[in-house]
Amino acid sequence: MKISGTHLLALGQEGAYRLLQDPEVLAKCMPGCEALVRIRENEYQMKMKMALASFSGLFDGTVKIADAEPSSSFRLLVEGKGKIGFMKGEGRLRLSPDGTGTQVAYDGDVQVGGTLAAVGQRLIDTTARMMIKRFFDKLDENVRTTST
Amino acid sequence: MATILTPQATGKLVGKRVRRREDPRLITGTATYVDDIQKPGMHHACIVRSPYAAARIKGINAQAALALPGVAAVFTGKDVAALGPVPCGASLPGLRVPHHHILAQDRVYFTGHPVAVVVATDRYIARDAADLVEVDYEELPAVAAPEKALAPGAPAVHPEWPDNTAFTYHQEGGDVNKAFAEAEVIVKQRIISQRLIPTAMETRGVVAEWQPGDKALTVYSSSQIPHLLRSLLAGMLGLPENRLRVVVPEVGGGFGSKLNVYAEEALMGFVAMKIGKPVKWIESRRENFLCTIHGRGHVDYYEIAAKKDGTILGLKLKLIQDLGAYHQLLTPAIPTLSVLMMPGLYRFKNILADIVGVFTNCVPTDAYRGAGRPEATHGIERMVDMLAAELKMDPAEIRLKNFPQPDEFPFATATGLSYDSGDYEAPLRRALELVDYPRLRQEQAEARQQGRLMGIGLSTYGEVSAFGPSPATPAGGWESATVKIDPAGKVTVLTGASPHGQGEETTFAQIAADELGVDLEDVIVLHGDTAVVQYGIGTFGSRATAVGGPAVYYAIQKLKEKIQKFGALLLESAEVTFTNGNCVCNRNGKSVTLAQVAAASYRAMKLPPGEEPGLQVTYFWEPPNFTFPFGAHIAVTEVDRETGRVSILRYVAVDDCGNIINPLLVDGQVHGGVAQGMGQALYEQAVYDNNGQLLSGELTDYAIPKAGMMPWLETGHTITPSPVNPLGVKGVGEAGTIGASPALVNSVVDALSPLGVRHIDMPMLPEKIWQLLQQGGQA
Amino acid sequence: MIPQSFEYSVPNTLQEALQLLAGGNAKVLAGGMSLVPLMKLRLAAPEHLVDLRRITGLKTLSESSGEIRIGAMATHHDLDSSPLLRQRCPLLAEAAKHIGDVQVRNLGTIGGSLSHADPAADYPASLLALGAKVKLVRAGAERTLNLEDFLVDTFTTAAEPGELLTEIIVPVEEPKTGVSYQKMVQPASGFAIVGVAARVRKSNGQISLARLGLTGVAPSPFRAAAAEARLQGSAGSAEDIRQAAALVSSNIEANADIHASASYRKQMAQVYAARALHAALAEAS
Repeated sequence: MKISGTHLLALGQEGAYRLLQDPEVLAKCMPGCEALVRIRENEYQMKMKMALASFSGLFDGTVKIADAEPSSSFRLLVEGKGKIGFMKGEGRLRLSPDGTGTQVAYDGDVQVGGTLAAVGQRLIDTTARMMIKRFFDKLDENVRTTST
Repeated sequence: MATILTPQATGKLVGKRVRRREDPRLITGTATYVDDIQKPGMHHACIVRSPYAAARIKGINAQAALALPGVAAVFTGKDVAALGPVPCGASLPGLRVPHHHILAQDRVYFTGHPVAVVVATDRYIARDAADLVEVDYEELPAVAAPEKALAPGAPAVHPEWPDNTAFTYHQEGGDVNKAFAEAEVIVKQRIISQRLIPTAMETRGVVAEWQPGDKALTVYSSSQIPHLLRSLLAGMLGLPENRLRVVVPEVGGGFGSKLNVYAEEALMGFVAMKIGKPVKWIESRRENFLCTIHGRGHVDYYEIAAKKDGTILGLKLKLIQDLGAYHQLLTPAIPTLSVLMMPGLYRFKNILADIVGVFTNCVPTDAYRGAGRPEATHGIERMVDMLAAELKMDPAEIRLKNFPQPDEFPFATATGLSYDSGDYEAPLRRALELVDYPRLRQEQAEARQQGRLMGIGLSTYGEVSAFGPSPATPAGGWESATVKIDPAGKVTVLTGASPHGQGEETTFAQIAADELGVDLEDVIVLHGDTAVVQYGIGTFGSRATAVGGPAVYYAIQKLKEKIQKFGALLLESAEVTFTNGNCVCNRNGKSVTLAQVAAASYRAMKLPPGEEPGLQVTYFWEPPNFTFPFGAHIAVTEVDRETGRVSILRYVAVDDCGNIINPLLVDGQVHGGVAQGMGQALYEQAVYDNNGQLLSGELTDYAIPKAGMMPWLETGHTITPSPVNPLGVKGVGEAGTIGASPALVNSVVDALSPLGVRHIDMPMLPEKIWQLLQQGGQA
Repeated sequence: MIPQSFEYSVPNTLQEALQLLAGGNAKVLAGGMSLVPLMKLRLAAPEHLVDLRRITGLKTLSESSGEIRIGAMATHHDLDSSPLLRQRCPLLAEAAKHIGDVQVRNLGTIGGSLSHADPAADYPASLLALGAKVKLVRAGAERTLNLEDFLVDTFTTAAEPGELLTEIIVPVEEPKTGVSYQKMVQPASGFAIVGVAARVRKSNGQISLARLGLTGVAPSPFRAAAAEARLQGSAGSAEDIRQAAALVSSNIEANADIHASASYRKQMAQVYAARALHAALAEAS
């Protein structure tokens, strides 16, 4: 499933780029992320608890940052496996200045498997979009609290 | 629902609308299905399945599962490497047959592939423990669509065969090149018959019990083929066949999906023998969708050649069959049935067909109601309609022009079949009468004037049924019956066919009661237990009544001879007739009842010369040919311009299945069949994503028609008895499914034809039609 | 199809239920039409279920001072068959009739449905058009929210842990209000691909009230404010309806799945909005 969109961050481009790759920030902002532990440069082990009303699932996985072109773009690869299936997301994030802020354009592919794929079909698209929205909401919150 | 014609009853019970004797136990919940079976000490199995369509198994760690209290064992691929394989009963020249282990070895080939089995004291623990089995997968690229699998550079489903081609198959009859050279018009079309999920109401289930003292295994399974299952399972497990008993209790529908031998059946046998305890496995709906065979899965390229007057000259077909990752019992044979039926009901004698059987990372396809014949009929009936449109001919007229006439039967086809009997005009004319065709066309013209999109669709279908003569089948095409009369004169019929919802407990009792002159209540019909019933083949391919019925009939004829001999002995007369349940002396009119004869035959004070005591006959009937039912369906539809939704305004099905034993049951078969054909035409599709994940993986996303979605069905019958068997029956189990999808698609194409629409692939989802409407008919 | 083990409580009173829920780890079981299948598939694995079935008073429908109060445990069938609703708030009775199948309507509850917040559930379209409110109760406190504020996002509500939805409040329909719920059904699940509820009133030949609620189209059910504004004060002509309907999904990022693409959903939202408006206006005049 293809997912793309844009989000305006109230932060300069260099700051935004650093923020989007800061494991502490990612851990706080990725919905359900319970732990992010560095394995090596640009690669982290992740524990994630997805909880959406009645739905819940635990995922173990990794977060990788690749093809980084500082301040302007990088690829984010997220993988998680759990009892209810697996999910993989891969996307390129592109940053460009927009006034005093930074426009973050994302463009990627989300793949799910197992029970999640078969039963959650109707929900994957909306859920993925909602999780991205939550991520950016949290990120905005982070920008606000750190800048004040 | 309406029945328009009531065929003449031919006997006291045969030909009558006798209510199904099976139903009281089914509707009061007192039937016994596999999951109702309880055994002392019974354990429960849960199967760990691959979430990937293609992956290497790097390791399996079952420690945590084994540590859970109540877990008796966990078995993986290496434990069962020497067993099996899951059998493929079809043979084709050059067929590539991957070794189908009962548990994955080092690689998985489709989502849902069984990887390990957990056995525990109850099903809850087994399920919990399954979550604790850690399988380390390395995901591999997968391919989930047959044409993509054939493309250069596609991932190889089986690395040893990088072209993903399991077989190619060529058949031709007549001179197709000449036909196409002489043609005045040629029409071509790519037609898809999408993958369907059979969705039997009861999922599969197995209970296996090992008796160590007798070294004997009993397997209870929800199957259509108990005896074939026993023979094949014995081979998979390395057991002598006489120490394996297969019991098929009540079966909640099969539609072909249980005409198979599955890994889980052997796996449960293995587990029971290994742990020394009975074990039960019940398939979940999710597993049923992922791991029980699917049906259809064709991409067909058709070319039809004709003269300007509508005379069809020839038909070419390139058939791409999505096989899935393995061959199940009949997987590669199913598309060959499509080729057999390519001539449809038409006279032309020039055909050419090429099949490519393609491996994909999906669950195997195999027989699903109609098995190859709905695909073929859909293609032919679409092509005939497209030809009619091209020639601006009426679809009824073009069909009437190309039917062989009744005096041309037996009719030899270009595919080597001999159609037994037929009057193909009769059901079409009857159906046209029922809808008042000229008036209906006028109504359509008026509707079009008002801007309404109303369509009339015809299909005249034929099928090859009653499988079949043994040389034409992989495992014997006969069927067996034992008829025995107990000392009190009551009748027991044991049939080798294994009916599972079709109602032969009723129809075979009707035949026996009429032939023996007893009440229906005096007859019981038993089936489905290899320890009780002589060998049999099973119920599939519309064969139970048309092959199993004659076996019952012939057994009774032999039995009647014996009854007459015992009657003669009792009446001390040489001229005795057995009639209406009594032996009557032709001279003095004295008589003895069947019960008296039966008692005397078992008491055996005196025996007719050369006769054994008792009244029991077993008969194995080998049919000389298939039977060829046919019919005509007409669907009247209307398309909602704003949404693309199709409404069915009228549906008429006139079927000719030869003589009718029970019109009520025939109607039921037609209703269910039409529902499934309608499902394919309008709603159903197995949707895999590019990675081989089944997205339509539950009933929330796979739409089978429900009662409220069904149109009113107007059914009618014409009767052209089959000369193949003494009952004159042809079989009707698949007729509705075969006739329905082309009638509906032809109807919707007709509705959209003013916009220039020539073809629509199934399922005709509203959005697909809406897109056509948006594009003014240009796909 | 076997859930993980869980603790199960069946309190007899609301107070008991709220105490059980106060810890925050328990999940409410109402009709179980969504939760139980999710549990069987292990997509949900609550540690503790609090079944509300024995609590009397959570199933009642009553009218007072221009409002109808519906107990959260009232089933869809209760709503569909309620003479009170049929006469005094027919839109909601109509919506209930469209849900699932007979078995689901006999067990599923309005409170359960709203709390699950499925983006394709039937009720929210009508309830948004009605301006419904919901009452949330916790041990020692309660609050009332507009439904818009309760339905936060896909499968997400404003209920805090320990809070229970106990009541849905809708206004008694004023005379001469025309209402309609039009639904394109997803044939497998029975959920709405698109569901549109319309409420309209006219006075002096002009539309004096226009309310449109949509479900199934977007991540959350919503009210089509632009379309409502277009109708307000208009004569409600076919052209007014066409123009208003064209606005219902213009700024929506629509859902997509194997049953309908986003663009088709948006288009169908307009078609069904027009149908609902035509039906409602026919009733109103």
